[in-house]
Amino acid sequence: MPVLEITDLTKRYGDLLAVDHMSFAVEEGETYGLLGPNGAGKTTTISMVVGVLDRDGGEVLIDGLRHDVTSVKTKALIGYVPQELALYPDLTARENLRFFGHLYGLTARPARMRITEVLELVELHERADEAVTKYSGGMMRRLNIAIGLLNRPRLLVLDEPTAGVDPHSRNAILESVQRLAAEGVATLYTTHYMEEAERLCDRVGIVDAGHMLAEGTRRELVGLLDEHDRVILRVADGAARAVPTLRDLPGVLKAGGEDGDLELIVNEARSLLPAIIGALGEAGVEVRSVEVREPDLESVFLHITGKALRD
Amino acid sequence: MKPLAIALLNVRRLFRDRSNIFFVIITPFVMIFLMGLLFGGGRQLHVGVAGGTTPLADRLATSLGSPSIQVARFGSEERLLADVERGRLHGGLVIPAGYEATLRAGGRAEVRYVSRPGDPAAADLGSRVRWAVSREAAVLKAAQFGAAEGGTAGRADAGADAGAASAFDESLRLASGNAGVDVKVVTVGRSEIPPGFGQFAFSAPPLLLLYTFLTALTASIGLVQTRRLGISRRMYASPTPARTIVAGEAAGRLAIALLQSLLIMLGSAVLFGVDWGDPLGAAAMVILFALVGGGAATLLGALVGNEGVAISVSVILGLGLGALGGTMVPLDSFEGTLRTIAHLTPHAWGYDGFAELVRHDADLPGISSQLGVLAGYAAVLFALGSWCLRRALVR
Repeated sequence: MPVLEITDLTKRYGDLLAVDHMSFAVEEGETYGLLGPNGAGKTTTISMVVGVLDRDGGEVLIDGLRHDVTSVKTKALIGYVPQELALYPDLTARENLRFFGHLYGLTARPARMRITEVLELVELHERADEAVTKYSGGMMRRLNIAIGLLNRPRLLVLDEPTAGVDPHSRNAILESVQRLAAEGVATLYTTHYMEEAERLCDRVGIVDAGHMLAEGTRRELVGLLDEHDRVILRVADGAARAVPTLRDLPGVLKAGGEDGDLELIVNEARSLLPAIIGALGEAGVEVRSVEVREPDLESVFLHITGKALRD
Repeated sequence: MKPLAIALLNVRRLFRDRSNIFFVIITPFVMIFLMGLLFGGGRQLHVGVAGGTTPLADRLATSLGSPSIQVARFGSEERLLADVERGRLHGGLVIPAGYEATLRAGGRAEVRYVSRPGDPAAADLGSRVRWAVSREAAVLKAAQFGAAEGGTAGRADAGADAGAASAFDESLRLASGNAGVDVKVVTVGRSEIPPGFGQFAFSAPPLLLLYTFLTALTASIGLVQTRRLGISRRMYASPTPARTIVAGEAAGRLAIALLQSLLIMLGSAVLFGVDWGDPLGAAAMVILFALVGGGAATLLGALVGNEGVAISVSVILGLGLGALGGTMVPLDSFEGTLRTIAHLTPHAWGYDGFAELVRHDADLPGISSQLGVLAGYAAVLFALGSWCLRRALVR
């Protein structure tokens, strides 16, 4: 049974259909990425998932239980990390966590223990008693996430959690999400950053104008394009000599080259690379550099929506 | 008890800002002290008297003294004038050098009253000095008449001068006695400020109303920030029903208003000896007025979108309604239409309620009309505030 199951979710603001019969599911331990430009309906969808916005149609199930704005029981299963820094700036990290722990029904002793755990998880334990105003943007982001983890959620919902943070904090955040997924937490993740989606998400849903345009694993989505991986090799000499050998390799669709360069069109570059290098070695061709170009989600997004992700 | 946790967090956040400690704890007492001095009835007036160390000059100087007027004697007119100019005295009386001789000779003496211009205390003192001098003048005229009549009878004697002096003193003694016409003042109706009423008991209740409402309104800034930062939305995403969040935030504003009221009430009792009257009545007034302030703050916090607007509206409403409701200039001095308009504010009803309790020893039933109006204000403001906050939360 999926931890989150959304069916025909619909939200309308006057004439604007912000979310149009959207359906998807997130399994235990799975990280699901919602990818789309501003105004695509990601945050509206997330708001209905976490139960702060009433839906106009459809159904949301959390662990098989019906969920809406009044469902206290299912809200207790969700950890929510909003896009904005929803923290009391004049309180310390510990005070913020204690307050939200209270709202999630944690009693004093378990709350203390859990607060220590999440502070360590986001690497803020050494500055837990400083006012949030003294934190950097990245530290605030990490505290924002820590609050979302307080209740050991079955479903973690992260809305652009790395927006505007430094590389160190971004990495720490992404590692935390990966660790949680490994522990079995189902994660719904929205981002503008393609590399984050590719690194974190087991499956991605591409949304635009309230519609779910496509969803699947990265490979499935890339498969929607009529594009293949490209391998570009720089060799010392004998490039022309190696081409027929390379063409005979299974998975190589096209091979060509002249002077010091070889270019191959292949199905799965990464898995095929050892065979390519081996074949060149047997042909007595010395390889100086290798470059692999794979179609990415950005290309998929462009292909499906006709616009760049950050338009 | 999630509402309690939300309410306590609001109180904690109020005092996390150091400037609020000054605003909430120190400023009200400074204002009570200053307003008590300015408008309170128990003010001590200081008058200096220069010139003349003769018996009649002493009589006049002594006649000026009363429980509310302190008389100081000065050896020279220059020193007296200097102290009046520097504000050490509210006014001064200059008795001329020939005062005694002139009066004893049946002549007319002139004394001068000096004060700084535009000083209300000096004007108050001046009228009291004029009254004392007139009274003394009447007695002296009687003595002069008695001496003149007695002196005619004994003028053939060798010691005619001594006899005249003796006749003057005897006449003065008789004129100063009980004989004559006294005016007995009998008031009808009720005095707004009873005799012997403490000056700080006059200033503390209006300032309690002013500060309770103002502090509660400024506490709306915390609520605006909670909404703007998305914290209230995050609270709603937790297993906390909207009504609990609304109740907690409203209770937070109420707690801040109550804290401010109690601080002023207890502080003024300890520091200035203010007697707040019937404890039940005073408690009911404080609770209901704090509810009014808390309700207004919840409404403002739910309606306004940013902290800058919230602080501007808080200060304008807090001071504006306070002034109109008689918390800056005594409501007792308002008349006619202005007094009617003042009673559109909850402050005026609070003022009236506290006036009954503090000045006229009213009990709980005695202020039921004021409590009823305040309860109405509180109910409307809390209902509106809660409704708007809930809408803002689930929108």
